[in-house]
Amino acid sequence: MDTQENDASRPSAALTVEEAIAAAAMPAAATDSASAVAARSPGKPPQALGRTIVITSGKGGVGKTTTTANLGTGLAEAGKNVVVVDADVGLRNLDVVLGLENRVHKHLLDVIEDKCSLDDALVRDRVRRSLYLLPAAQNREKDDVPTEAMAALMQTLAARFDFVLIDSPAGIEKGFRNAVVGAKEAIIVTTPEVSAVRDADRIIGLLPPDVEARLIVNRVRPALVKKGTMMSVNDVVDILRLELVGVVPDEKEIIIATNRGTPVIDIDGSQTGAAFRRIVRRLLGDTVAIPSFQAPEGFVSRLKSTLGLGKP
Amino acid sequence: MAGTVYVVTSGKGGVGKTTTTANLGGAFAKLGLKVALVDADIGLRNLDLVLGLEKRIVYDLVDLVEGRCQSRQALIKDRRFDDLYLLPASQVKDKESVSEDQMRIAMRKLAVDFDVVLVDCPAGIEHGFRNAVAGADQALVVTTPEVSAIRDADRILGMLGSRRARLIVNRVRPEMVRSGDMLSIDDVKEILGREIVGVVPDDEEIIDTTNRGEPVVLDGARRLGRIYTAIARRLLGEDVPFTNLADDGLLVRLRRLMIGS
Repeated sequence: MDTQENDASRPSAALTVEEAIAAAAMPAAATDSASAVAARSPGKPPQALGRTIVITSGKGGVGKTTTTANLGTGLAEAGKNVVVVDADVGLRNLDVVLGLENRVHKHLLDVIEDKCSLDDALVRDRVRRSLYLLPAAQNREKDDVPTEAMAALMQTLAARFDFVLIDSPAGIEKGFRNAVVGAKEAIIVTTPEVSAVRDADRIIGLLPPDVEARLIVNRVRPALVKKGTMMSVNDVVDILRLELVGVVPDEKEIIIATNRGTPVIDIDGSQTGAAFRRIVRRLLGDTVAIPSFQAPEGFVSRLKSTLGLGKP
Repeated sequence: MAGTVYVVTSGKGGVGKTTTTANLGGAFAKLGLKVALVDADIGLRNLDLVLGLEKRIVYDLVDLVEGRCQSRQALIKDRRFDDLYLLPASQVKDKESVSEDQMRIAMRKLAVDFDVVLVDCPAGIEHGFRNAVAGADQALVVTTPEVSAIRDADRILGMLGSRRARLIVNRVRPEMVRSGDMLSIDDVKEILGREIVGVVPDDEEIIDTTNRGEPVVLDGARRLGRIYTAIARRLLGEDVPFTNLADDGLLVRLRRLMIGS
């Protein structure tokens, strides 16, 4: 595997969460128009720019949209003003995962092309009132979105919201470049599979050098790791050398939640939901340990540990 | 007579295009056909890894269309099969480095020498998608029984022109269909309105074989191996029966979604 090819161009270790928050809280050079926009509701004080985070992966189907929906939901439930941006023009899905598909009327390209105001395009979540969706156009192409306009729009959003989460399309074409252009931070989502890790490695090398990148390892199946047929989280981190911001176990609840349009973070008793809640707290600067997601122990080993006999 | 060029596509990523391409290619080869697999995901190639051929790449698709090598130099023979070859994608170029016309010509040439050409399409609907589709006679659209994958499949079906397009429904979990937590095959067929040529269950064996670069079809005794062989035979015109699965109630939401958009 040629996973080392981009090492030289890779940004050095990411900022700590605390440093990133301090950076985000610095007095912002907000433009007049951005301040004017920010003065309106919903919003935040115009003096501070919010954090812009792109969720990307290279490979499709590893969980970018699910991650965006859950982190957006979790941050809103923590009291933050959050906008989630669907940058997958032509193949949007973030609206479906959030259960907001019937309320989409205008979209990101309408805003960029001045066909409507930002407020007309934003869809407010019914339950979490500080969560907004900026949907993608379904009948347009990614090439229709000028990269500079995308960057400017993300700036405008950062002046209004505490968090701007950008859901990147798969691949490394124009759609990816547009999703990344306005972001100061990146969350790389991967699964412990060789093809996903290879694509993640490629995409890390394509990020602008000033973007702070962190890693989520998604769809971990402890039983397969234990059997030796799946890479461990440590293996993935060793290869990609990014700061780990979360590990999310695979469970069928995620399919049910996605099909129903209810983010899994709101489902009690879901391990996947609990993992996303921990990531939200880490994004907010808390120190939360990453559990090891051991495979369910067999009767004998459970009994042994109960008896204080230790593990082999 | 020239062979048939199929593009394996989906819209949504991660639904199993590359795995399907590798295993279907292996299945055709085991049935005695001469098969070329083309990785059209320039810059994010993976078909080489799934086939375990990554260490043998010298020339690639971009080299071929730009005339830097002959097709016999770029095609890597998979020695585990009689007649299975891989035309790898370049990992360092981008998708704009190949034009639709160049792809069309390259696929025509391959179809002269091979019975079946399977083109593994990148995710999305950008330049890489248009390239992968350009030289294809027919399409195999891979989807999973999930709302987002089906919506993307619906979108892509509208972008395939007059090509015959058939569906492969991947990662089906029969127990979730039965409990009403997953769409059934009949639902998928009704929504997308196309012929289904294969139904592949979700099986963790596929993760293992992918990580090891050994297509599951290598072992004809395995359940998934038999399923991919059945799909290949259906594509060759044989009438191979397949089992049906239970119904469920997610149809309403998806139907509203499709009609509403």
